[in-house]
Amino acid sequence: MSKLWLVAKNTYQQKLRSSTFLLLTFGLPLIMVVAGAIPILTELRAEIPEVGYVDQTGEMGVLTEIDLEEEKLALVHFPDQQAGLSALEAGEIGGLFILPADYFQGASPRYLSNSEPSEKLKEALGKAVRTGLLSGAPAWQVERLEDPAKFTYLAQSTGKRVSEGPAVIIRVAIPVFLAMVFVLAIFTGANQMGSVMVQEKDQRAMEMVITSISPRALVSGKVLGMTLLSITQVGVWILGAGLAVFLFFREDLIGQAISIPWNALLWAGLLCVPAYFLFALMGAGLGVIAGDITQARQLAGMLGFVGMGPLYFMGMIVNAVDGPLAVGLTLFPFTAPTIGLFRMALTEVPTWQLVVSFLILLGSLLFSIWFVARVFRATMLLYGQKLKPAEILRAVSESGLSFAGREKEN
Amino acid sequence: MGEKNVFLKIDSVAKSFGDVQAVKGVSFQVHGGEIFGLLGPNGAGKTTLIRSALDIIKPSSGEIEILGGEMSEGKKSRIGYLPEERGLYDDMTLWNTLIYLGRLKGLNQKTAQERSEQYLRELDLWEARERKIQALSRGMTQKAQFIAGVMHEPDLIIIDEPFSGLDPVNTRLIKKLLYRMRDRGAGIIMSTHQMVQVEEMCSRILLINQGEGVLYGDLQEIRSRFTSNAVEVDMAGEVDQVQGVEQMTPRNGGYHMVLSEGVRPEDVLQRLVSNPDLTVERYERVEISLDDIFVQVVGGEKLNGSGEEAV
Repeated sequence: MSKLWLVAKNTYQQKLRSSTFLLLTFGLPLIMVVAGAIPILTELRAEIPEVGYVDQTGEMGVLTEIDLEEEKLALVHFPDQQAGLSALEAGEIGGLFILPADYFQGASPRYLSNSEPSEKLKEALGKAVRTGLLSGAPAWQVERLEDPAKFTYLAQSTGKRVSEGPAVIIRVAIPVFLAMVFVLAIFTGANQMGSVMVQEKDQRAMEMVITSISPRALVSGKVLGMTLLSITQVGVWILGAGLAVFLFFREDLIGQAISIPWNALLWAGLLCVPAYFLFALMGAGLGVIAGDITQARQLAGMLGFVGMGPLYFMGMIVNAVDGPLAVGLTLFPFTAPTIGLFRMALTEVPTWQLVVSFLILLGSLLFSIWFVARVFRATMLLYGQKLKPAEILRAVSESGLSFAGREKEN
Repeated sequence: MGEKNVFLKIDSVAKSFGDVQAVKGVSFQVHGGEIFGLLGPNGAGKTTLIRSALDIIKPSSGEIEILGGEMSEGKKSRIGYLPEERGLYDDMTLWNTLIYLGRLKGLNQKTAQERSEQYLRELDLWEARERKIQALSRGMTQKAQFIAGVMHEPDLIIIDEPFSGLDPVNTRLIKKLLYRMRDRGAGIIMSTHQMVQVEEMCSRILLINQGEGVLYGDLQEIRSRFTSNAVEVDMAGEVDQVQGVEQMTPRNGGYHMVLSEGVRPEDVLQRLVSNPDLTVERYERVEISLDDIFVQVVGGEKLNGSGEEAV
């Protein structure tokens, strides 16, 4: 096993056991699931009260109940608002629904109650209005109007029928989802690189380690280890998200031919992996320049903003998905994966743009490895001291420079 | 010793940091099978020299040959280093730390495990192997770092203050290992302020001061150059003044006498013996310690004798 892989493996194993990693990997999605599940559970447990209604339009038929999927909404008709309010005050009904006389002119129906109506009740009241107003119509007409338009989705570029419902959402959402995961991975993973480098220096084992391995291999090993860690983390998240989507849409998805956007997945791999390395290397470089962990985290925060940068341009990209800004950001290494994938969800991105973007990314990556290793070599024995901009330039321009004895200059 | 046995050759090496010249054209050689003492006061340039030799920093001028040529990645596995700056990975266990550092030095997993066990047992750390580094005492960490520096059994070992923080028992254990490595043929450079250890262990030394080599060569030969011009005398009887004695100080029930320049100790002894009021019980020439030489040279006092030129 090469020394670079040894460093990567050691970094990976050490960080994998850390509480921060475990909390972020499993805790964060758990919190999100719990936060998302609470309203759903509340809704599921909400009981539908008996509701009184007043039809001031005179167009609704008399209704006593509305059939829902698993429950029924019991309705009590009142001839006027006063009678309904009396019943509400007496506690005979849980709420009073009023369809105003000028409803057909655009006025909104009113619902009086001491508690907020649940989504289930709102849906039931909507059905009650439809059923009441169409009381003379055949059942099929009422049923069709409950879901008046079932769309067929066609791919703009090929004209092929894609699928319907959740399947098409998945197809369009995958590139966007991957772009979002990439941004998240930068926030949680690449941002930690700076701290990792500062810690490596702070442990004061550097002088021993550096007589065993070259600075370039050490930096590359650290970045590789952290990247593998991020891949693990993102893998857990994607697996969790995929499972959640499957469980949630299981019934809708069964029997559907789901169209997996393999092209987007391939380019996601080709753009995201080197771009992640690039961000991680930048993070490592900032850690090398920073004097301590606090400064490293502050600088890493700036890196996070760069990672999020493409999100600020999304509006403009949607309006001109093949415009110069969109193409420029697809080629720019720090925005290439996010914008590239986002555009792939909206349009057919020309292959040459993706290939050029990939090559620029690789070039930037090689330059970064050289740059960071050079600065690292110059500063690896500086403890708790921040590097000045002029010193960064000196470190890059002078081969084998070390500021290890900088205190003697001052 | 022949050129073939030269494990480290430093030739006119100088290093500047900005306007400050930390090392000024120092030259020396270290051979296989010897323990070489690198001495000097704080800030003399010892660490800069060591870091230059190990290619951690580049010298401003001069040439360095290590294990027969320029430093290369391949040679790193043949060099052991215990730096002045102490530190290991706090969150790792002692065992994992040694395996990791041993493997970085080119050992395979099995050998790294075998050597770790061997050295941990020898240095009485075996029971602490599953403890995290941060939970070890200073002395234990010191020993752990020593193991990490030598477990790959390198040809050239550079150790900076190997005995600091160690009790006499552990000092003996480390010494025993160093002797074993020397006997195996390794060249060992020991940088320390503990002159007693240097006198006991080193065959040759380099003393640097303010970046310049001021004493270099065989330790016994250097000591012989710094002959003391003082004697210790135990005697019965009273005497106020002795001819040829510049200064006479009572010490430990006897006298410490500093002789005048050009006066031989045997002349003074003859005068004392020939005095009927005195009975000389002990007359001993004071042998100068390396500690005294260090203070004398670094303190800028006149060197006694011509000796070897500063390097």
